Amino acid sequence: MSIRTEEPTAAVSTGSALDPGAPAQEAAPSSAAPAAALDNMLLHFEVQRLYHLEAQLLDQHRYADWLELLADDLHYWAPVRTNRLRRQQSLADGAPGEVAIFDETKASLAWRIRRFDSGMAWAEDPPSRTRHLITNVMVRPDDEPGQYVAESAFLCYRNRLEREVDIYAGCRTDVLRRGTDGGLLIARRTILLDQNVLLAKNISTFL
Amino acid sequence: MSALPRTPAAAADVSPLFDLGQGLIDRSIFSDETLYRQELRRVFAPSWLFLAHESQFNKPGDFFTTYMGEDPVIVTMGRDRRIRAFLNACRHRGMRVCRADAGATKAFTCSYHGWSYDTSGKLINVPNRDGYPDGFDQDKWGLTEVAQLDTYKGLIFATWNPEAPPLRQALGDMTWYMDAMLDRDPDGTEVVGGVHKWVLEGNWKLAAEQFASDWYHVNISHASALMVMSPSGKGPKAEIVQTPGRQYTDPNGHGAGFPTHPKSRFDDRVVHHYYDYEKLRERLGDTRVEGPMTTGHATVFPNFSYLPVNGSIRVWHPKGPDRMEVWAWTLVDKSMPDEVKNAQRLYNLRTFGPTGIFEQDDGENWSECQATAHGFMAGSMALNYQMGLGSETEDGTHPGTTGHLYSDGAARGFYARWRDLMNTPAWHEKDHEKDTP
Ligand code: FES
Ligand SMILES: [Fe+2]
Repeated sequence: MSIRTEEPTAAVSTGSALDPGAPAQEAAPSSAAPAAALDNMLLHFEVQRLYHLEAQLLDQHRYADWLELLADDLHYWAPVRTNRLRRQQSLADGAPGEVAIFDETKASLAWRIRRFDSGMAWAEDPPSRTRHLITNVMVRPDDEPGQYVAESAFLCYRNRLEREVDIYAGCRTDVLRRGTDGGLLIARRTILLDQNVLLAKNISTFL
Repeated sequence: MSALPRTPAAAADVSPLFDLGQGLIDRSIFSDETLYRQELRRVFAPSWLFLAHESQFNKPGDFFTTYMGEDPVIVTMGRDRRIRAFLNACRHRGMRVCRADAGATKAFTCSYHGWSYDTSGKLINVPNRDGYPDGFDQDKWGLTEVAQLDTYKGLIFATWNPEAPPLRQALGDMTWYMDAMLDRDPDGTEVVGGVHKWVLEGNWKLAAEQFASDWYHVNISHASALMVMSPSGKGPKAEIVQTPGRQYTDPNGHGAGFPTHPKSRFDDRVVHHYYDYEKLRERLGDTRVEGPMTTGHATVFPNFSYLPVNGSIRVWHPKGPDRMEVWAWTLVDKSMPDEVKNAQRLYNLRTFGPTGIFEQDDGENWSECQATAHGFMAGSMALNYQMGLGSETEDGTHPGTTGHLYSDGAARGFYARWRDLMNTPAWHEKDHEKDTP
């Protein structure tokens, strides 16, 4: 996972949120900087709104509605994090094809969600209370036109039955794409949970 | 073991906690702190315990760290390509000499004062060596090695107990059942990279016992999973819910259960199509293909369990009377094409990973059983292990003793073994009896 440092206020121009077809510009001339900064703000605002909506749907257990935010060719992946010697850090995040916490398509997520709707998913009956907090959102244009790479940090608090508490924290890297109606869809998500041994008996929500 | 002579801790007689002839077990075995300490000494220390899979070690220096009971261990391949296992504790002040989960190294160097050990456990460097007295024999201060290490068809087991019978003998007839998973492919098995690890607020025996013996819970606990997995989407047919099957119970505490209905086969479609069942029948025999290869569950006493069809192999690491850590690998046949291996990997993670549609409901059961065990009244209840009492026979088809699929037979066998070990001084206690007048 490459870490990009971006000056939050830098005039890095992205394709306009309002005009997704607009090509990304290199460092804008100073006179154009305010417009580019505004586009960037609008894009960040749009992505944040998507994430806030997503968090609300998950916290309200409206999983079928959540699925609507996902592209049909979705890959939803949460590799396992391991402790490695410093010189072998490149192996610290599980590779594709290894054991993972999630490694899903839209169809397999729908399959998991059908189970919740069966009325017999006892691990969530009575249901848990969750709160997804999404922050540190940074968006940049992807190489593919009309696509964006969005990084965010999440903290998901789960409270179950009387006093069970689990906290899932980590970061997500998404590829977002405009759907036919112009709205953003989540086409790819990589979730890095900041835990080695998962400090919970399961994950019964989505991150 | 290099230890100072120590008076063995007093041991409780656990016989009164069991009336296995009547199928009754006292619930304190799941919650009592003193029994838990005794269990580490008398059940875990003397038994063969699962460490890792051979395919995790391909070249000298490859290592993997795990636990035996609560003891941290390093498993590593030496320069002679032999796999050894050591206590992951520096002989100087006891710090873990390796804090990575896996990797490759030439030496394990303690980051406290710098004692360094090679991959055969030998102490090869001691900073300020001259400060030690003349009698300091560096060769005597290598990492503490397990007493015995052996493999069974790719699975690495070890024990601290020099007097333990050989692994093959300790597994006994259980190998016939294990081979339904381990011996489908003449080239053997391997594990997918990475290990699922998660915590569970429950005593390790809740899980070990269930994997030995409990098909009973499947239709209820996993009703939602069975529903989404059934071809109709409405749940399995009655003939599958009422499937016939057998449950194996072993004098060494192992257990396995499996349906014998040909349609009761919860395997992945891609994997199912890959297998040539005629060949498997030749290789493993009809009884095994129609039995333990359908689907099912098993525990190798004390804390190694597996699901032959999902490819999940796992250890229930004890972490106190109220807590375990689950470490689960994904097992595939070596000869499977990559896309079949991948299908098995995905199937396992979606069913029995920590987000799996089966695993979630199992975890909820175990943590709930544990949560109520500390109440005085709830904790004083005898629990019911009466199903299938007296149904065990030698049926002439399945090796050893088997009973009905829906039975507590293997749980009774598991606890009979646990009780006997708890009441038998382990080798480390006998040493003491010998050494001290
Ligand atoms: S504790 Fe390892 S060198 Fe001192
Ligand atoms: Fe189960």
